[in-house]
Order: sequence, then structure tokens, then C-alpha cells
Amino acid sequence: MNALRRGVRNAFRNAMRSVGVVVILAVAIALSISMLIARDAVTAKINTVRASTGNTISVSPAGFGGGAFGGGGNPLTNAQITGLLKIANVTSVQAQLAARLSSTQTNLVSPITAGSLGGRFGGGFGGGGFGAGASGSTGTFVIPVRVIGTNAPGNALVGGANGGGTEKLTAGTTFSATSSADVALIGTDMATKNKLTVGSTFTAWGKPITVIGIYDAGSTFANATVLMPLATVQKLSAATNQITGATVYVNNIGNVAGAVTAITKDLGTAADVTSTQATVEAQLSPLNSVKDISTYTLIGAVIGAAIILLLSMLMIVRERRREIGVLKALGATNRSVVSQFIAESTTFTLMGAVVGFIGGVLISSPITSALVSASGGSSPGGFVRRGGGFGGGGSGFTPPTGTGGGGLGFRGFRGLTNTLGNLHTSVGVSTLVFALVAAIVIAALGSTVASATITRIRPAEVLRSE
Amino acid sequence: MLNVQNLNKTFKTDGGDVHAVRDVSFHAADGEVVAIIGSSGSGKSTLLSLLGLLDAPDEGSIDMNGTQLAHLDAAGRTKYRSRQVGFVFQAFNLIPNLSAKENVKLALEFAEWPKDERDARAEEMLTMVGLGGDKASRRPNKLSGGEQQRVAIARAFAAQPQLILADEPTGSLDRATGQKIVELLRNAANTQKTTVLVVTHDEKIAKQADRRLEIEDGVLTEIA
Repeated sequence: MNALRRGVRNAFRNAMRSVGVVVILAVAIALSISMLIARDAVTAKINTVRASTGNTISVSPAGFGGGAFGGGGNPLTNAQITGLLKIANVTSVQAQLAARLSSTQTNLVSPITAGSLGGRFGGGFGGGGFGAGASGSTGTFVIPVRVIGTNAPGNALVGGANGGGTEKLTAGTTFSATSSADVALIGTDMATKNKLTVGSTFTAWGKPITVIGIYDAGSTFANATVLMPLATVQKLSAATNQITGATVYVNNIGNVAGAVTAITKDLGTAADVTSTQATVEAQLSPLNSVKDISTYTLIGAVIGAAIILLLSMLMIVRERRREIGVLKALGATNRSVVSQFIAESTTFTLMGAVVGFIGGVLISSPITSALVSASGGSSPGGFVRRGGGFGGGGSGFTPPTGTGGGGLGFRGFRGLTNTLGNLHTSVGVSTLVFALVAAIVIAALGSTVASATITRIRPAEVLRSE
Repeated sequence: MLNVQNLNKTFKTDGGDVHAVRDVSFHAADGEVVAIIGSSGSGKSTLLSLLGLLDAPDEGSIDMNGTQLAHLDAAGRTKYRSRQVGFVFQAFNLIPNLSAKENVKLALEFAEWPKDERDARAEEMLTMVGLGGDKASRRPNKLSGGEQQRVAIARAFAAQPQLILADEPTGSLDRATGQKIVELLRNAANTQKTTVLVVTHDEKIAKQADRRLEIEDGVLTEIA
């Protein structure tokens, strides 16, 4: 029987103590395993959310809430927007000019009825923004026709990064980014309401506009919008060089924060600059906290287990001081005796690791859920409430996508908030490897002091005290 | 042949230096049983520690069949102890969770005895001390005090050492059992031609030795 076998056998020498040590180790290892699993689940969720966040930045005039929504402030200029292309890591800029056409400015009729929301908000919000403000009083408010001048007609309404779908052309063709022709793309609802087809004309600002395409953007509000070339809207609405919003694309999600800083510095107080990433990061803050907590707890549990084992082994060595002296007197080397005790501590740890691994896997899911719900209970609520306020689009007062950024963005985040707690815990090979490595680390750390004590035991002193 | 010359050992304590062993010189032949008598604190345990290479002397020499042992390094002392020295303790000092046979095999393992011969050698030694059969598989707590000391003797002689150091081997036993243990030690010494040094308080036990030495205040003298 060699030293290792003696060590393994010694682990079962005192059943009560062995069970106690193994149970305590198992609890510590179960805690560390569950924290590792929670950490992996949270990290995966964070990475998924970050990956889906996109790499866009919204720029709008300071104080401006969107074309129909209104607000105040002064428009940005073509020069300011094109100047953003010089900022490092900016790959493209999509600009918009939002406007509203009253019944005196167009022969189009909005397919959206005012309803009670329209009547309630119509007068209050009608005075701001660009284009002609709709007049009316509560109960008689008529929804104006929403027009967006854009240099990116394929992504003007519901940018993918802002949480919606993209408009699909169902008939006709589109216009180019630099077009200044008197043409328009109209939503399916607008086309139906006004009995328009490709090739039909309508009037806007007193000019005949030709419908060259009809799109479906998947929502009642978006399908009631008219898209026209940016230069055309600037020309017809007498808003030359004016921009009410832009979407800036950055080459890498990691460069978004830097680009936001550079754009803010470049435009100064003239613009509100927001990125979905910043908002998502704020939203992810509870998950990051959970990740930190699980990391510290994981490390603490491993260290705790090592300390438990260290003290247990030290107690065992002190108890067997005479036996160690006898072994040395019989000719056992320090290495042999230390190996025996390391084998004993490793046996304890491996038994604890097996039990702890199973326990950790079983409790990981409820612990992860508890951590996430405890950490995320306060922070996301604000976004949910704000999302509800901006996004209640029955009246059509959600700010235009890509300019205000808030409405669709927050609406998207409400969905994100709902899914943050929906974490999937899984046990992979890495978890198993961690359990093994942790057991080895615990056994190694737990044996150090005991080993040092063993090497200091002199058989002559032990036997002299007999 | 064990030949000890001018052995000295001093311990530093808070109360000053304690000269535990003073100029001890003696010899013992192969197969000879030598009794060392001394009162508590006389230095006999220190002498045994020095002879058993558990401690190093400050001065002097220990010659075992031509090999100088006194100034071996720690590794050399451990190696020599495992092969050439056997211990029998008053409290038996068997490993409690090992069977009698496994305790004997432990000494063979440390002496690097051939693995395939350890089992047979352990059985042979246990049979020699009268513990063959099922008692070989019993743990120490299932054996009487005398039987435990027999196992300790079997363990001490197992690796065919040149020197056996027995520290009060009968101290925990009744007189009759103690007498049997001494006879066992004598027989084993004769059979295996091993030098046996027995430390004892008991004059009757000491008188059964081939020679008697007395140690007092670290000074060893031969009793005629």
C-alpha cells in the first residue's frame, strides 16, 4: 500500500468528520458552480443583447422630439450632418427632414383617424416641430399627413437598429439618395385611403407629386407616411439645408461610445446625440451587477472551500502528529508523508466536488433567476414607463424614427427589459473543467499549511514526549 | 557490530544548556541484547534518538559495521533508518487504520523491499511473533496490548535491520506478557543476528539482557 492509497483510505478513517468536511466543501463548491453557471448565462445574455444592439447613433436637433411630436429648437444643417462623415469610424450618415402637411397643403387624407388620443394630444403637440402645425381643438383634431424627406428611402421609417422592421416595396420603384425629383413612396394604408397607385399624383405644398412606389412597413403608423427625397422636401417646404434628424453608422459596435463623444463635441449644444448602445448598456447594468456578484462569490466560495480544507487538514495533522513521527521514524520521507496527506485532502475535495457539482447544477437556475430579479427590479422600470408614454402610437404621435429616436427605441427596450430575466442556464464542458480545476486548487491550497507542518515535525521530539 | 565513541548532545533551553548525552562510548555485537537502565530525564531517550538517527549528535561517532552514521544528512539518515534500524515503542505506535499485516508491510515499503515479496515477508514475521492466521488481518484495536507489541516487533525486524531500538517495550504490559516480549526480542536478535538495545526501568527485564548499561545525567556506565 503506497502513500496515495493510504491517504485515500485515511479520508474514510473518521466517518463523521469526513462527512462533515465533504458536506461543507460540497456546499462551497455547489455555490461556486452555481455562480459560474449564473455568470456564464448572464454573460451570454449580455453578449447577445450587445450583438443585437447595432452600431447606430441618432442625432436630432436639441430640444426636438420628432416631426409630428414637436418640441422646439433649431434644425441642423446639411453641412453639420455631412461633416459627421469626417469623424473617425463613421461609415455613413442618413439624414431626414420631417414635415407635416395639413389639409390646406395637400390633397392627401391620412388613413389614421384621430380617435380619443388624437383629440387629446392634437392641440397640445401641434405647435412645435417643422412644417405646418395642425390646428384644431380637442375632439375636432384632424391628423396631418406625415412626410419624411430622406436620403435613405430603404431604411427611413423603422431602422433595424431602432427596433422595428424595414419597409418593403410592394409596387413600383424607389428614388436615389441624391434625388430632388417631385416623387414619393407612400405606405399601403395611405395608398388605399387615397386610391393611389404607382403613377398616380397628389399635391403637396401646391406641387404635383408622382407616386413611384408603394411600401409596406408593417405598422399602421408607418404605412400612413409619405417618403420623399430629402432635397425635394427641403425645397418644397422652404427648409433649405435643414435637417431634423440623422442616423450615423459606425464601423464597429466597440467604437460607438467614442463616436458619440466625438459627434457631441462636434455639434455642441445644437444637437441631442444618443446611441442605442448607451441605453442598452444602462439597461444591462443589472446584469453586469449580477455578473460581478457571481464572479466575486465564485472566487470567494473557492477560497472559502480552500480555507475550510486547510483548517480541517491542519486539525488532522495535529491529531496525527505522533503517527507522522512514527512514520518518519520508520523511514518514511517527508515527501511520502506529505503525499499521503495531499491524497487525503484531494479525496475530500473530489468527493465534495462531485456532490457540489450536482448540487450546483441543480440550484444554478433558481439562483440565477433570483440574482437577476433581485438586481434588475428597480432599474428597468423607468424605461418601461417611458416606453409606454412615447410608444402609445394609436394617435400617431410617436416621433419619427431616426430623428427623435426615443419612441421606437424605448418601445424596443421594453421588449428587451422583458427578456433580460429570461436567462438560459446550461452546463458545458467548461463548467466540468472548472469544477475539476477548482477541486485541484482547493486541495492544493488546503494542503499547503498541513504539508509545511508535516515537514517541520521531528520524529525525535514526538517520540520523546511519549 | 555497533561502535559508539564520545557521543555528545546538548539542548538549548530557556533555563540554559542541557547536556543530555556526555561522552558516551560503548559497543554491541551482532545478535547481542544490551539493556540500558536509567531514570526519567537521565538521557536514555536522547541516546536512543541519536542511535536511531532521529537526531544528529553534536560530537562523536556512530559506526555500524564500518559505516559512519553520526554525520549523515537528513536524507541519508532517513534512508539508513528505513533499512538498518527498527523501533519498538512503549506505546506500540501502530497505525490504527491498518491491519497487523499492513503495519508490518509499511516497514517493508519504506525499506523498498521488493513488492512481490512483502506479503510473504510480513506473514513470516507475524508467524514468528505468534500472530499468524486471522490475527494478521486485524486492526490494532482488535488486538491485546501484548499482541500489538508483537506486531511492533514483527514490524521492527521485518526489513532485516542491523539494529533494533526498544524503548520501554514492556512498559505498557503486565509482567507475564512483558516477559514473553523480552523473550521474543532475544529470540529474534539471535535468529536474525541483530543488535538489540532495550531501554527499561525494570531490573528484572534488564537482567535478561546479555549486558547492562546505566545512564545517569547523560553519562553511560557499564554494570558488571
